[in-house]
Amino acid sequence: MASTKVVNIPKGGFSFENCQRNNFMAKQGFPAPKAVKTGTTIAGFIFKDGVILGADTRATEGNIVADKNCFKLHYMAPNIYCAGAGTAADLEMTTLQMSSQLELHRLNTGRQVKVATATRLLKQMLFRYQGHIGAALVLGGIDSSGPHVCCIYPHGSTDSLPFVAMGSGSLAAMAFLESGWKPDMELAEAKVLMRNAICGGIFNDLMSGSHVDLCIITREKAEMIRPFEVANVKGERQGSYRYPLGCTATLSTRVIPIEIESTVVRPVAEESMDTA
Amino acid sequence: MALFELCGIHSRSNFKTTEDDHFNGEMDSLNIIGNPTQLALPPLGCPNNKNLVDEHGREMKINYDHGTTTLGFKYQGGIVLAVDSRATGGQYIGSGSVKKIIEINDFLLGTMAGGAADCTYWERVLSKQCRLYELRNKERISVAAASKLLVNMVYNYKGMGLSMGVMIAGWDKKGPGLYYVDNDGTRTPGQVFSVGSGSLYAYGVLDSGYRHDLEDEEAYELGRRAIYHATYRDASSGGIIRVYHIKSTGWVKISEQDCTELHYQYEEAERGSK
Amino acid sequence: MSILSYNGGCVLAMKGKGCVAIASDRRFGVQTSTLAMDFQRIFEMGPHLYVGLPGLATDTLTVHERLRFRLNLYELRESRKIKPQTFSAMVSNLLYERRFGPYFVEPVIAGLDPVTWEPFISAMDLIGCPNVPEDFVVAGTCAEQLFGMCEALWEPNLEPDSLFETISQALMNAFDRDAISGWGGIVHVIEKDKVTTRLLKTRMD
Repeated sequence: MASTKVVNIPKGGFSFENCQRNNFMAKQGFPAPKAVKTGTTIAGFIFKDGVILGADTRATEGNIVADKNCFKLHYMAPNIYCAGAGTAADLEMTTLQMSSQLELHRLNTGRQVKVATATRLLKQMLFRYQGHIGAALVLGGIDSSGPHVCCIYPHGSTDSLPFVAMGSGSLAAMAFLESGWKPDMELAEAKVLMRNAICGGIFNDLMSGSHVDLCIITREKAEMIRPFEVANVKGERQGSYRYPLGCTATLSTRVIPIEIESTVVRPVAEESMDTA
Repeated sequence: MALFELCGIHSRSNFKTTEDDHFNGEMDSLNIIGNPTQLALPPLGCPNNKNLVDEHGREMKINYDHGTTTLGFKYQGGIVLAVDSRATGGQYIGSGSVKKIIEINDFLLGTMAGGAADCTYWERVLSKQCRLYELRNKERISVAAASKLLVNMVYNYKGMGLSMGVMIAGWDKKGPGLYYVDNDGTRTPGQVFSVGSGSLYAYGVLDSGYRHDLEDEEAYELGRRAIYHATYRDASSGGIIRVYHIKSTGWVKISEQDCTELHYQYEEAERGSK
Repeated sequence: MSILSYNGGCVLAMKGKGCVAIASDRRFGVQTSTLAMDFQRIFEMGPHLYVGLPGLATDTLTVHERLRFRLNLYELRESRKIKPQTFSAMVSNLLYERRFGPYFVEPVIAGLDPVTWEPFISAMDLIGCPNVPEDFVVAGTCAEQLFGMCEALWEPNLEPDSLFETISQALMNAFDRDAISGWGGIVHVIEKDKVTTRLLKTRMD
């Protein structure tokens, strides 16, 4: 039967179906609201054994802290991680998509992914969207050609440098890096320098805050330390503000019982062995 | 201070030398304590921006605007005034217990709607003027005269961003008087008024229940009910509902009730009647 | 005025001990005029899974229908109940797809894992940036007030009854300071063996 309506199965890519409506509403005096941003301090540099990345953990929505402990260090590949600043949703989705692309690339080529590949993939994607995807990244990794740290700007330009900082707290972080960074630092030294740089952002930039997260990538392994340091300890509550039971007036109560008729436990690993 | 002005003595005049005279113009504009009916305006032309902005051009939230419901009506027993008590700054509820009926003197009341600061300030000035009138003339000011004093004051600032919609109600030689005054310079006497963002809801109830020969209790209940229905539908009205009655012996406060209390009371009554 | 506060309304969710609660107000208005006091903005997406969609009311309805469609397809294809985490990713995906022409809703998701019964809550901005904290999530026109109330009232390991008191008081005291939220409240407390839905007696102004 020829149906008049074809079921709309979601397909990949962006949808622009609401754009016209939203533009109309903006003209009526209802501008589109702001998305969550990670006004951020992120940094990365090369040390003796590899690369170290650092980030704060605050996400802001206008003048409120939307998330006090968010992830800003993202997995790209086993040997590559990246730190992100900018529009939170863009960072999340861009890094997820890129890490899956890199994994496919790794499986196709059967080799460890190069940092240059990840950089190129990201910059080409960001350039295609002309800066509308608000992702500013610090990419760090180690590959056959050695350790690399790379800045990627939302419009698609890149900088490959021994030490970089990005985000709203980048000036504070860069102050520490400029004065403290030297070639071939030991791991312990590197951790302290990175901690100082991120704390510079946490304490001097209002849009950065909470904790310090670190990611250390060496030839052998990549290690995520979260949190490395709790820079802003939450104050302890002095009294209990707990309401006694029954002090909220209700108009009606409805209880939906959920009965569990049967529980099936299927050990997946064993079964998949047998099916062949 | 009031006596000084009555006698025409300025505190400055005793110390004044002739050389100072050409500063007088400037001094007058700075001295707002001496003449409260005039604001000290910056020499920048017309400040007609209603909402203040900060250095980045963003709207500042200090401008507490009253989304309000106020009403007043004349009936055989005098005048009933009823108001809500919510103050909002944008969608934020700044207060739920504002006094929106200003007691000018024992026989005069003013209601406030619009900018909170504008209403309180100018009705305070009016209060002073009314007192001075009484001292000068040895009799109480009429409602007509009082409302005219106010409208003349605000008319001086027409188009400069004052925001007020007020009712002046009282009892004088001619009996009960009820006037509506606003920042455009409107001044009009009337039988039934409602002012503020919830006024349309209030009019709906008011017009369906209003008669000139209402009993006192009926009149209070009508005013209260009209404000209650406005608080129910209008997001920027709410809090405590205050009812005042003006009679020949002056005004009396009839009730101050939380509108939540009223809501469940009315709901109960309605359920009982079914 | 932002388009997100055109119709008013708020939602919050909290974790408890073996349970989660999700609550919202019931107002539907157009700017300052209140049109309905029985508006639904929390939807049941499964026996232990609820989603709240505060924001522009037209999008609340549209996004709910689209989610229902995707959820049904998922459950048909997988023939099992969805995990809250997976559902959260599904919502996030739906919203991010419209990155450059978003729906004006800020979803809040609360549920129990259908296998482990682990509590789960998450919230998103209007383009689907997920936020999965350990305590509570808030969204809507009085988010700032809700943040304040929750920071003061929430504590770990609340039993279902205490969780109800906590979330209700947080909700009511927050929206009493917001002109365009309120007019009744609804609270769902989700436990392994039952879901308790209560309507709150609140201020009606």
